[in-house]
Amino acid sequence: MDVTLRLVVILVEIAAVLGVVLLHVAYLTYLERKVLGDMQDRMGPMEVGPHGLLQPIADGLKLFFKEDIIPAGANKIIFSAAPILVLIPALIGFAVVPFGRDSLHIGPVEFKPYITDINVGILYILAFASLGAYGILLGGWASNSKYSLLGGLRSAAQVISYELSLGLALVGPILLSQSLSMVKMTEAQGGGFWKWFIVVQPIAFVIYLICAIAETNRLPFDLPEAESELVAGFFTEYSGMRFAFFFLAEYANMILVSCIATVAFLGGWHAPLPFLEFIPPVVWFIAKVYFFLFFYIWLRATVPRLRFDQLMAFGWKIMLPLALANILITSTVVYLLKH
Amino acid sequence: MPTLAEFVKKVSFAEIAKGLQLTFKHMFVKPITNQYPHQKRNLPDGYRGVIVHLRYDDMTEKCVGCALCEAACPSHCITVESAEREDMPQKRYAKRYILDVTKCVFCGFCVQACPVDALASSKEYEMATDNKRNLIMDKEMMLALGDKYFPNRQKRPPYTEDRLAFFNRVKEEGFPTARQDKTPPVQDGKLPVKGAA
Repeated sequence: MDVTLRLVVILVEIAAVLGVVLLHVAYLTYLERKVLGDMQDRMGPMEVGPHGLLQPIADGLKLFFKEDIIPAGANKIIFSAAPILVLIPALIGFAVVPFGRDSLHIGPVEFKPYITDINVGILYILAFASLGAYGILLGGWASNSKYSLLGGLRSAAQVISYELSLGLALVGPILLSQSLSMVKMTEAQGGGFWKWFIVVQPIAFVIYLICAIAETNRLPFDLPEAESELVAGFFTEYSGMRFAFFFLAEYANMILVSCIATVAFLGGWHAPLPFLEFIPPVVWFIAKVYFFLFFYIWLRATVPRLRFDQLMAFGWKIMLPLALANILITSTVVYLLKH
Repeated sequence: MPTLAEFVKKVSFAEIAKGLQLTFKHMFVKPITNQYPHQKRNLPDGYRGVIVHLRYDDMTEKCVGCALCEAACPSHCITVESAEREDMPQKRYAKRYILDVTKCVFCGFCVQACPVDALASSKEYEMATDNKRNLIMDKEMMLALGDKYFPNRQKRPPYTEDRLAFFNRVKEEGFPTARQDKTPPVQDGKLPVKGAA
């Protein structure tokens, strides 16, 4: 395969993944509004299109045509750069997520079910996820507003506290699969749901789930954007397309952490039982991801926001020791089983 | 010192699980939403909407222009200009009747005050408009609304004609002298006392 063709294939794959992810992001907002509405005995959006199905498109168009305001006291360069700094890390993580098993062959060209398989896949996602916190912090600082600044500071504190436990929770599956690559990690879990890492790593799974919610600033850990205290937190001063970038990044991050949870704990695209393998792997992957997304929305409809000291105490005094103990036990057991 | 059961309950997020169970149950509860512009509420019978004018079954308007509604109105939103009818000089009607809906508090006192039941509270409540002047209603608008909401009209009572005949007789003959065949009310400088004789 010559270089041009490979470049074209990669670009097409990137465009496809980006398009699909952004479409899912748009309709995730719709799903969230509908599910929240149902859980609160309401209907959610009903007006635009049948059952409000065109609502995300209408919202996107509205945000696109809205006036883009930069506050007078804001640092213009950082204020403009912050939404991009948040959105890019959220989208870039999808490069290493394996969505399915089989490659698609069209003539001489092979479309793999992932953009790339690098041998430090999970590390790469975690590294970029931490970069997203800079965008939030800088956006909060550059807005020159106390609400934004407080939101940004809270976000920085929260992300640092919970990223530790998040990374440590993922060490369990890494130890078990002996690989940092997302593809190899998925392949290590084939053969039925009893091979999934959630069975041997339940504590790591729960820790990952909680930390992932905190990482994405979702309820009950949405202190950076707590609307009852901080208006909208770090994006109080943002409007129009820049606001939409923050919004997209939040939902893209939700999908990304759900993808990682699926790959690391629920066996990626593997079917739960061997005889269910006639259903395409992509379907299983999407179903598992949507299970997590639904759980996030479900949790949002149920639990109120934590107090800030509770958040910090929970992160440092419970999650971190638990995650460390989990690594200790897992690595010991893995070592003893190997020898 | 917490007991083991309490500790297990705390560690296993039992309370959050309970909450999740409740919210999940509510996913299958029928929404109580009323999709307003498409689906309208059933208003109760005693609903007090915009005040309207009624007609008799012969399509003559009921209002006699007495302006008792104007007197009863607590927010002074009714203006009545009464006049004699050209064809029946003894009868009056409301030459101009203005209801200012922007001031109206929908209390229904005018409906209660009306001696001929010419006013009624309709179920009209969608009065939103971009021009405030549309909300100052004259008698024709109120009659049209009354036709819309009260299609069953009261029969014109016959006594109205009797009284018209009485007034016409008075006009021609003058006031009838009362009790000509009976004893005059004053006798020998004394008022008759009932039961005295």
